[in-house]
Amino acid sequence: MNWALWLLGAIAVISAISLIWSSHALYSALSLVVTICALSVIFLILNAQFLFAVQIIVYAGAVMVLFVFIIALLNPRAEERPRVDWHMVLGILASIVAAVGVWTMAGSTAVVQNGKIRGAVVGRIAHPSSFAYTEQAVNAHGNVQTIAGQLFTTYLLPFEVSSLLLLVAAAGAVYLTHHARKGL
Amino acid sequence: MVGAIGFWGWVGIVVLKAVIILIFVATAAAYMSYAERKVSARIQLRHGPNRVGPLGLLQPLADVVKLFFKENTAPKGRERFLFLLAPSIAGAVAIFAFAAIPVNGPTTIGSFTLHWDLIHVNVGLLFILAMTSLGVYSIFLGGYAANSKYSLLGGLRSAAQLISYEMAVAFAIMGVIILSGSLDMEQIVTKQTGLWFIFLQPLAFFLYFIAGLAEGNRLPFDLPEAESELGAGYHTEYSSMKFAFYFLAEYINMVIICSIATTLFLGGWLPPFAFLSFIPGVIWYLVKISLLLFTMIWIRFTLPRFRYDRLMNFGWKVLLPLGLMNIVVTGVVIALRAA
Repeated sequence: MNWALWLLGAIAVISAISLIWSSHALYSALSLVVTICALSVIFLILNAQFLFAVQIIVYAGAVMVLFVFIIALLNPRAEERPRVDWHMVLGILASIVAAVGVWTMAGSTAVVQNGKIRGAVVGRIAHPSSFAYTEQAVNAHGNVQTIAGQLFTTYLLPFEVSSLLLLVAAAGAVYLTHHARKGL
Repeated sequence: MVGAIGFWGWVGIVVLKAVIILIFVATAAAYMSYAERKVSARIQLRHGPNRVGPLGLLQPLADVVKLFFKENTAPKGRERFLFLLAPSIAGAVAIFAFAAIPVNGPTTIGSFTLHWDLIHVNVGLLFILAMTSLGVYSIFLGGYAANSKYSLLGGLRSAAQLISYEMAVAFAIMGVIILSGSLDMEQIVTKQTGLWFIFLQPLAFFLYFIAGLAEGNRLPFDLPEAESELGAGYHTEYSSMKFAFYFLAEYINMVIICSIATTLFLGGWLPPFAFLSFIPGVIWYLVKISLLLFTMIWIRFTLPRFRYDRLMNFGWKVLLPLGLMNIVVTGVVIALRAA
């Protein structure tokens, strides 16, 4: 499955570049959808089936649909901008620095080990204490069961707090729209 | 999975399954259009297609040939790339979703277990939901790219409708997931041996079926293509094979919705009584989805269309609370029985 990872990675990077470069906002949003789909298939190959499904359902299937919806409604004209300006030069320099930084911090040997990309290894480096689950251990219980077990035991408080935050945001949005409607 | 039959054996089986799915999907979509015309004719006291072949059975074939040779018209101000992309997404996503539906129980041949679904992941149900949730793009982009107000209005309506009713679908199936404790389609069916989930979750079944009608753009929820107000809705400007792809996707989506309903509530490939188990599971599966598909057609020619605001109210204020209630009741009962 190694070649598939490289292929998907390439798709993700190319669509990410097109997200930034395309002059039409709608094509940018659609490129982001492609990036999300490519990343989610990488999750599937790395044995994170639940993350795969959630990534597509939540991001590609709901959040990005709303983005596309709004962009199409506002229908902005294509941007007119010079081919090369100092923003672009600065941006390219910054992304090169960031890429080199990530590569050195994650350690190139850890990412590619015996010619294989190791997602688990990268994860363990990023967060050594929490990455106690190998692929075999997760699959023995099932992906959803493992994640749910963690969410409702170890990370119960952050989980509930974040759901409360979302609720507040939703209530706030409802309040704002009603408030605006009264003034009309 | 690869072990018992070797790499090339595994590749062969995957390719074979993919070809079978493609053939089945194309045939099913074609003959769904025939069934729809025949059943509607019966309901409206007409004859329906009866010229091409015996009982008009070759009519779908003639329709496909006609669609191939039709003039491919396209509006002038369209977004060229998106106009082509949108119907392709519709067809592709519908076929992807079909790949995770188990039409029969796992068959063991020696040391090798044959799964009857193409993609066997342990979150099969979520896989199907994920794929169908991508179908919104085809409808919305199709409506946007055509640069026509009827198409755009149809696309806008459908995007709002599909997102709203996705919530209702998710809440309706949650009860089954709690009961079976799994998202694996095969395990959900196996758990129903003896007692189908429709008897334990009748409310959830009706909620799912209603929301499924809305997800599949079927009457009484076919507002994205309300012909009396919108011409034809999001596919007004499409013709020839591009239109055929939308057509295909709609019928495949119907089959998928009925397949999920069969798998989750009607015991999938299981026979209704144990003594009938000599009949292969695939037959039971086909019989069950045929009954549900017939119900869908029946509903289409019986009920009038919803008004748009009623549709939204119904989705958010009736289906969603009922779904939530169902989850709470199921959870409490299971907790009490466990205690």
